Amino acid sequence: MSMFQALPDDIVAHAPVAEPTPIKVSVRDLDFYYGKNKTLNSISLDFHDRSVTALIGPSGCGKSTLLRTLNRIYSLYPNQTATGQILLDGENILAQGKDLNNLRARVGMVFQKPTPFPMSIYENIAFAVRMYEKLTKSEMDDRVEWGLRKVALWDEVKDKLHVSGNGLSGGQQQRLCIARSVVLNPEVLLLDEPASALDPISTMKIEELISELRADYTIIIVTHNMQQAARTSDYTAFMYLGDLIEISPTRELFTNPREARTRDYITGRFG
Amino acid sequence: MSVQTPVTPTTERQVSSPYQRRMYMRRRFISTFHMTMSHVVTLLGLAVLAWILWSLFGQGFSALSLKLFTEMTPPPGSDGGLLNAIFGSVMMVGIATIIGIPVGLLVGTYLAEYGRYAKISAVVRFINDILLSAPSILIGLFVYELVVVPMGHFSGYAGAIALAIIALPVVVRTSEDMLLLVPDTLREAAAALGIPRWRVILQVSYRAAGPGLMTGALLAVARISGETAPLLFTSLNNQFWSTNMNQPMANLPVVIFNFAMSPYDDWRSLAWAGALLITLAVLGLTIAARTLLAAKSRMKG
Repeated sequence: MSMFQALPDDIVAHAPVAEPTPIKVSVRDLDFYYGKNKTLNSISLDFHDRSVTALIGPSGCGKSTLLRTLNRIYSLYPNQTATGQILLDGENILAQGKDLNNLRARVGMVFQKPTPFPMSIYENIAFAVRMYEKLTKSEMDDRVEWGLRKVALWDEVKDKLHVSGNGLSGGQQQRLCIARSVVLNPEVLLLDEPASALDPISTMKIEELISELRADYTIIIVTHNMQQAARTSDYTAFMYLGDLIEISPTRELFTNPREARTRDYITGRFG
Repeated sequence: MSVQTPVTPTTERQVSSPYQRRMYMRRRFISTFHMTMSHVVTLLGLAVLAWILWSLFGQGFSALSLKLFTEMTPPPGSDGGLLNAIFGSVMMVGIATIIGIPVGLLVGTYLAEYGRYAKISAVVRFINDILLSAPSILIGLFVYELVVVPMGHFSGYAGAIALAIIALPVVVRTSEDMLLLVPDTLREAAAALGIPRWRVILQVSYRAAGPGLMTGALLAVARISGETAPLLFTSLNNQFWSTNMNQPMANLPVVIFNFAMSPYDDWRSLAWAGALLITLAVLGLTIAARTLLAAKSRMKG
């Protein structure tokens, strides 16, 4: 055990062991601007297929910004620009003329605050599926059930599928939002502090879910909670003031960080 | 151990020195003064409103009868009703609604969704605000020049167009405001599923803002149903039953305007009845709008 270790042994011991898998997303020399304000400085890192990578760092370090480049959701806002390369299976998604709707179906995203659409639970899930697939009623029923089972929500909502999604608890809403992404069969799943607005029980459920989804998707999660990063991720990237300080297998980063700033952050000396 | 009298710290601090005591009394006086004035002014405003409603209901109810809905506006000295005026008003307000609300909704949608950051949007907003506060008689004269003069005669269509122009900025403003109340996170969430923009607007933004948009439309209808000045220059009036929108058309506001200023008692009583009808219709619309908004806030909570 390193003398700088921030977290109790048992938590780090349970961190999934990273087995090298192929690279799914590769970020190269990524700069990001809000207007003229540069918020990411030449970020380069890789995200591995079927693994969980956690992005940690103090508020304003650019971890959410990095996440928002990966499905180009920032493109909704004309004053935000990114330069550099982000390769998804070798294809640059920052290229001009990229079909963003197609990209976003492949790269799903779940936000900090649950965002159920103002429609029924069933419709929340079926809505996006209809954009991509022509399914019969019973196929759609199956797909909705599959999605809700995948996020362990089926038993809680199967009797009220046609009730508004707004009536669910925060944790249920968040799982509904994950289900909504998962039914599109994405390859990458981006989670922007998915549990920070939830109570401990819901948080635990979301974390269990992340561990299960890890088998099928490339998951990238932004979190403020270092225990959460340690518990759920294979790799952890530490960012600070728009720079990537280091990325390592999670166990390594928390027990034996290479950089002094990482060590200071995970031992609570700043942040 | 000494026994202390229980004194709350704040009270003790306020009265501890003559200076602080003076300041405290001064603040209390200012506070009481302002509160009293606010109450008095509120009461004054409400009293005027109550007075108007009191005389309207008093005079209007005694003039109400079934004949209002079955007979035409009469010549002075004979019996009659307001049927042609009611019909004309409903037709013109209806057509104005059909023209004004979709256009207003589309402009509001552009401002809140597509053109939120565009330079042209600031210009559109500015012009819309001017239109919103433009005197309605100006709109009447504008449509007079635009429609009545080329056609050579007053017409129900001209009236409907004038009313549509008055409804337009109201709908633009309310629909933009209501769409802006829809949190951007919801739009982002939909976009993050790869749903195209137009579908996000139709199925997420409109749905989330639905009751608010409906309220805006109803308020616009309420606003135009009492407009008089623009109709004087456009649809004018018609003493007879006419369903031809291409001809001068009777309508409640202008009938009220003419009858109320006449020396004939039966005309004046019809004017009161017409005023009551409009007020009740607007009241009904407003209550409907408020009920919808309440339903919306319930949905959020």
